[in-house]
Amino acid sequence: MYTALLLGFFIYMTPVKESVKAVFSTKTAELTLFSEAPMENIEAVSKSAYGVLNTDNGEIQFGVSIKSFRFRKSLMQEHFNENYMESDRYPAAKFKGKLNTPIDVTKDGEYEVTAIGDLEVHGVTKRRSITGTIKVLDGRLEIKSAFDVKCKDHNIKIPALVFKNIAETIRITLKGTFSTIT
Amino acid sequence: MNKITILLIAFSLSAYQSTAQNTDSLMRNLSATGEGDYATASFKSSRLILSQTTTMVKKYDLDFKVIHRFGDIGGSDGGSKTLYGLDNSADIYIGFEYGISDRLNIAFGRSKFEQLLDLQMKYAVLQQKDKNGTPISFSALLKTGFTPYKVNTGVFDSYGNRFSHFIQAIISRKFSPELSLQVTPGVLFRNVVLATGDEMTLFSTGIAGRYKLTKRFGVVADYYLISSDYRKNNPNTNFYNPLGLGIEIETGGHVFTMNFANAKAIAENNFLANSTSSWTKGQYRFGFTISRMFTLYKPEP
Repeated sequence: MYTALLLGFFIYMTPVKESVKAVFSTKTAELTLFSEAPMENIEAVSKSAYGVLNTDNGEIQFGVSIKSFRFRKSLMQEHFNENYMESDRYPAAKFKGKLNTPIDVTKDGEYEVTAIGDLEVHGVTKRRSITGTIKVLDGRLEIKSAFDVKCKDHNIKIPALVFKNIAETIRITLKGTFSTIT
Repeated sequence: MNKITILLIAFSLSAYQSTAQNTDSLMRNLSATGEGDYATASFKSSRLILSQTTTMVKKYDLDFKVIHRFGDIGGSDGGSKTLYGLDNSADIYIGFEYGISDRLNIAFGRSKFEQLLDLQMKYAVLQQKDKNGTPISFSALLKTGFTPYKVNTGVFDSYGNRFSHFIQAIISRKFSPELSLQVTPGVLFRNVVLATGDEMTLFSTGIAGRYKLTKRFGVVADYYLISSDYRKNNPNTNFYNPLGLGIEIETGGHVFTMNFANAKAIAENNFLANSTSSWTKGQYRFGFTISRMFTLYKPEP
């Protein structure tokens, strides 16, 4: 009986221990959004984007709380939350995908990667292929990526009245250092 | 033996699950921000119709306000002769409100009604959070009014008699993206009252709300219950509790409110003590509020 329990416990522990080694995460990634507009550029940054990368199976996920974006103009920040992103209803933007390139975390190196997966913004999910770089350095991963999000794709409505003020495509830049979970 | 097999299966199953769900459950843990973020914009502006709101003017922002109340629509002063009150202005208020910080605002304004000058301070004691945090917003309002011009009756013979002070607790909750409600218990202190028997310390409670029909358009209502024995059974003058109904439109940097209210005056120091117009007698008026926000300084985010 005890032997069996012990055996069960052993089986239970082993895969978890292995997977922990391959799982990297962050909750202080920097995500910026930028869009050039005739009246005033739209620029905001969140320093609390979070993400998980499992190098065993290439699974990669990112998320950001919409309310964590900081704008230089507080009124712009309010309108971003209230009128465009509707952050009470859709509090976070997420990406869940898989890397096409295996990452060797045991030695330093840099990889050009593509992640194919689902990008959810404003409650609308789109299948996307997002490129970026992953740099392995001292057992940590520096992930960088830049991609565009079209307001139209995610049903973010811009009224005709303010059309000229707001660009239809928003540039997203992501920068984060992932470390293993201890 | 059976027990052991079940245990083994359970253990190995949970082991598989823990690997399969690893990234998902980790993401859930990472996204859990505890109390959550502050609820944004319980109200579009720091003013509804009669009441001020818990919405603060943010740091370095300056809110320029123009508030207007026209003459009676109906009754003896209304009708087509005065184009339903549009020829008259019962009160005009021009004011500025500045955000010293996200939680502390100061404001200065001037009313046509009694030429009242007012200076106020509003401090956000509590701010509503999204998840399990603070369920309400609570702002404390302190306001001092000063009437600079002499009146013929000689009631302002001493300078102290020209001051009135108002203290109010503004408590609000954003129940959904559409619905926000607030209650505003307050006390008005006046050194000179309307007549003998009028309370120098006048208590009132406001109830107000906003319901958004679209993202930029909503309906607003605002009511004040004034606790005063002098006003309740006055043989000479009839007093009525102020009630305002209106719509609210936001267009980028501006917030417009268009409303109907029986109260003539705009500042609390005036309308709480001195509302003698009745909805049922046609003594309600069209009014509007324009709020324009200026960002004076834009720090790096």
